[in-house]
Amino acid sequence: MDELILELKHEIIKALNLEEISPADIGDDDPLFGDGLGLDSIDALELIVLMEKNYGVKLTDPSQGRDIFRSVRIMAEYIQAHRTK
Amino acid sequence: MDTNYLATMNKVYLLDAKQISVQKPLSEEWVTAPIYPSVSPSSFAPSIDPDYAQCFPPNLRRRLGKLLKRALLVSRSVMESTGIACPDAILTGTGFGCVENTEFFLEAMTFEGEDCLKPTSFMQSTHNTIGSLIAIETHCHGYNTTYTHKGISFESALLDAFIRISGGQIGNALVGAYDEMTPHYHILLKRTDYPGDCHFGSEAALSAMLASEPLPGRKPLCRIEAVELCYGTSPGCTAKALGRLLDRAGCTIADIDALMTGLNGSEANDAVYVNLGAELFPGKPLLRYKHLFGEAHAVSGLGLYATAVCLDRGSVPPFMFAGDAATEAAAGMKRILFYNHCGGKNHAFTLMSSCG
Repeated sequence: MDELILELKHEIIKALNLEEISPADIGDDDPLFGDGLGLDSIDALELIVLMEKNYGVKLTDPSQGRDIFRSVRIMAEYIQAHRTK
Repeated sequence: MDTNYLATMNKVYLLDAKQISVQKPLSEEWVTAPIYPSVSPSSFAPSIDPDYAQCFPPNLRRRLGKLLKRALLVSRSVMESTGIACPDAILTGTGFGCVENTEFFLEAMTFEGEDCLKPTSFMQSTHNTIGSLIAIETHCHGYNTTYTHKGISFESALLDAFIRISGGQIGNALVGAYDEMTPHYHILLKRTDYPGDCHFGSEAALSAMLASEPLPGRKPLCRIEAVELCYGTSPGCTAKALGRLLDRAGCTIADIDALMTGLNGSEANDAVYVNLGAELFPGKPLLRYKHLFGEAHAVSGLGLYATAVCLDRGSVPPFMFAGDAATEAAAGMKRILFYNHCGGKNHAFTLMSSCG
């Protein structure tokens, strides 16, 4: 799980062009939206694309993202449970 | 020409303009200390970007492509300098639009298929992203149109603004010229002979505020007296267009002090300017700006800006004369005709005069 969390942090930084942030700056349980990284709805779309492209995880209901994208750890747990690649 | 009708038209002033180019950004330092990019002819010289960390919050900075950052910054700067927080219209001229994100998007389609495309690149890959982003970020929700017409994209936008302001439909307009280039796209374009055998290829970001009234207690950069576009290759085409322009402005060729041209070092391009100058403006000085700002579809916006700055200052720097600068620089410049052509087929004339 730790390996997947670290990989995910790298992927998020790359996908969202978070140039000034390193994986160490993102806590495993930090909120990604709002007070945390301050991501917004367009970033949520980017994360949905990232999950599908990299791990074969399709979110059929976009409202699921609200729960799945709460932190990198929750995101990693969801990916591990549903990944097809 | 119905002179009574002309008398009812509003005057159009260029209040201020801001640029990001190969010259020092957001500055008129190019007048006294021009930068000559050290690139070989026909190469590509990128613009000098300001420190965007000082201008935009992190979220905007990481999301926007470089052309959007430039367009937004020059637009905000000119809105701030003129105190016009919400212009009545936003008119955009761009030849290629957001090339950088178009490239990202097409590369993703090519290498990763069409199933999982990134929304940010998609949203920022269209030509009218620029005008719409300026509108969203500045909360200006009035008339908003983008013109994409190769080398006269900017003048097409300018003409729209000019007609609307002079006709009284709007009181002011933010008019912009924006184009970017990527190293990869530059290589591809060279196969199509663009930008040709010129001084150097470049990028352009220019926002100008036009209005029917000068700002209280402040001199506009210049007045725009008339704008005329035409299409054709015969000499008669440009002569007729020029005739219409002079009619509208109520002046003659004798009243024009100089011709600002897009001379860029390419023989085919320059011949059009030289021939028109010799036929219609014998004895008038030819001015140039592309040796300073390079060649790009939207670079004529920077040509208009450079002409306006010269009129505002009441003098033209010697390095902008195509002829013998030593004798010509002494002449005061009150009215300059800015002429731009694209491929010798599309022609744009903008008559500009000093407000001082």
